[in-house]
Amino acid sequence: MSVLLEARALEKQYRLGGGRVLHAVSDVSLQVHRGEALALVGESGCGKSSLGRTLIGLTHPTSGEVLFDGHRISGLSDRALRPWRARMQMVFQDSSAAFNPRRTVGESLAEPLRIHGRKNIRARVDELLDQVGLARSVADRYPHEFSGGQRQRLNIARALVLGPDLLVADEPVSALDVSVQAQIVNLFRDLRASLGVACVFISHDLSVVRQMADRIAVMYLGSIVEEGDGLEVLDRPAHPYTKALLDAVPRPDRPLPPPLKGDVPSPVNPPSGCRFHTRCPIAQPKCATDRPSLQPCGEGRRVACHYPLVA
Amino acid sequence: MGAEALLDIQNLKLDLPDGRRLLEGVSFQVQVGEALGVVGESGSGKSLTAMSVMGLLPGLRASGQIVFAGQDLVGLPDKSMRKLRGARIAMIFQDPMTAFLPVRSIGAQIDEQIRLHQPLNRREARARTVQLLGRMGVPDPAMAAKRYPHQLSGGLRQRAMIAMALSCSPDLLIADEPTTALDVTVQAQILTLLREIRDEGAGVMLITHDMGVVAQACTHVAVMYSGLVVERGPVRDVLDRPLHPYTQALLAAIPPLEGPRPEQLPTIPGQPPTPENRPSGCVFAPRCSFVRPDCAVRPALIETEEGRRVACVLYAA
Repeated sequence: MSVLLEARALEKQYRLGGGRVLHAVSDVSLQVHRGEALALVGESGCGKSSLGRTLIGLTHPTSGEVLFDGHRISGLSDRALRPWRARMQMVFQDSSAAFNPRRTVGESLAEPLRIHGRKNIRARVDELLDQVGLARSVADRYPHEFSGGQRQRLNIARALVLGPDLLVADEPVSALDVSVQAQIVNLFRDLRASLGVACVFISHDLSVVRQMADRIAVMYLGSIVEEGDGLEVLDRPAHPYTKALLDAVPRPDRPLPPPLKGDVPSPVNPPSGCRFHTRCPIAQPKCATDRPSLQPCGEGRRVACHYPLVA
Repeated sequence: MGAEALLDIQNLKLDLPDGRRLLEGVSFQVQVGEALGVVGESGSGKSLTAMSVMGLLPGLRASGQIVFAGQDLVGLPDKSMRKLRGARIAMIFQDPMTAFLPVRSIGAQIDEQIRLHQPLNRREARARTVQLLGRMGVPDPAMAAKRYPHQLSGGLRQRAMIAMALSCSPDLLIADEPTTALDVTVQAQILTLLREIRDEGAGVMLITHDMGVVAQACTHVAVMYSGLVVERGPVRDVLDRPLHPYTQALLAAIPPLEGPRPEQLPTIPGQPPTPENRPSGCVFAPRCSFVRPDCAVRPALIETEEGRRVACVLYAA
C-alpha cells in the first residue's frame, strides 16, 4: 500500500502568555496508507484532536512537516491549500453544529461542489445521500428535522462531497446512542470498502476503535507511545499505558483492576524522562530520567517504553 | 420484593401540560445497600424518572407512587421535599462544571450545603468538607476546598460533587451519567468510589447508557425504553441472559473488546418513538425482530423468575 499522508517530527505548541508554552503535539511521525483506517486514541488533552487538525491543515504545525500524496502541505497559505482541501475532509463530533441551520441540507451539500466548480450538482447530492443510506427527498429538509444518527450520516455525506482520499473523523460516534452508534460504525466500514477512502479516527472508546481501525496509535501527553495493528495493540498491549487504558474500560465479565493513580499531568509542564512514569505501575528509576523513543517492537509495531510488556 | 424498599416507584406517569405523556408507568425498587442501574437510550425517560424522585420537575403532572422510606413523594409540598432533598436524597450530575456555581470556591459550596441541613458553625462545616474531600481521594483536600470549579480537572470536580452529595450522609444517592464526560481511567476511579458508598449502606440509583458501567457499579438493573421499564433484575442475570428483545439488541450492538471482530455490528433498525407517536401496544414492536400480532396489546411487566421481570409477550404465561 502506498503512503497517502505522512507526518514528520510534527510539533504543535500554543503560547499561553507569561512565557508558558503548551505542548499539544510533540515529535509525532506517522504514516497513513491509501484506504487505511488509523485510530488516534488517548485521554482528553493527549493531543489527538490537535494532531488530527494539524494533519489536515486546519492548524499550522509549529515545526515538522506534513506530506499529502508526496507533496508538502504544511506551511501552505490557505489559498494554496485549497485544491488539497477537496482531497481531505473532516467529520466533526457535533453534527448539529456542522450544518447551517437556515439552509436545507441539500443546499449545504451542494455548496462545496459549486465552490470547486463541479458539474451535475443535483446528481452528485443524490448519489451522496444514497451512499450514506438516506432518502434523496431529505435534501429539501433542514438540519433540525433530523435525528442525531441521521444528522451524523449527513455530516459524513458533507465530508464526502468532493470525493476525498482522506477523512479525519473526530469522535464521530461518541455523541450517539449505542444502537445508532453501531449503524454509523457499519456505515464507515461500508464506505471505506466501496470508496477506498482512508480514515483517521480520533476516539477515546477502545471498543469502537477496535471495530473501526486497521491500525492504532496510542497518544499520551502529545506523543505516540505505541503504534501498530489494531487487534494486536488492543489484544496484546506493549506499552503499560495502553494496558492501563484497556484495564480501565468497564466490562461485564470481570471486576475492574485497581485504577491508574492521579490525573494526566499538565502538558504545560510535562514530567521529565518518560512522560508516563508518574503514573506507570512498572516505572523504574531510569524512566524518570531517560525519555524512551519510539522503537520497533514486532512486525509493523512501535513502542516508546524502556520495559515493554511484549517483546 | 421482600423487606420494605428504600425507594419504591410504582406506575409512575409523567405528563406535559398539553397532555403528552413522557413516562408511561415506571416501576422499580431500590433496597438499602443496593445499586440500581437505570439504562436506556436518550429520550427513554431515565433522567425524568430521577428528576421526579428529586421533585425537580415543576410544571409536569406526576401520578403513581414514589415511596421513599415510607413516604409518598408524589404531590409532596415543596417545603417538605426541600427537607429531604440534599439531606436524605442527593443527586450528582453528568457535568459538575454546570452543577457548581463558578464564582464561589467548591469548599464554600459544600460548607453551605452542610450548614443548611446540620447545626454546625463555619469552622466545623469546613472541617467536615475537608474530611469528605479527602475521603473522595482528592489530594491536598484543604487546599482543594479553596479552589474554584474551573481550577480543578474533570475528575476532581466530579469527586467534589460527590463529596457535596454525600455531605449529609444521604440514604439514597442518585447519579445521572456521573462518568460519561470522564476519561476511562478517571471513570474507573469514580466507579470504585460508588461501590464503596454502596458498601457503606446507601442506596444508589445510577443512570447510564453504558452496560460496562452497570456491570461494574450496580447490583440490579432496569432497562428503559420510551418511558417504560421493559426489563429488570439482578445485573448478572440481565447481562448474561437478557430476556427482552430490546435488551438483547442493545447488548449485541456494543462492539466487542476481545475475540473475533465482526464484519458488521448488529443494529436496531429505525429509532425510538416520540411521545406523540408511541405505539398503543408494545412500545418496541415497530423495531423488534420477534414482533407478532399479540404485540398490539401493551404487555405488562411480569415476573418470570425470582427477582426478574420483563414486559414482552414472548414470556407471557
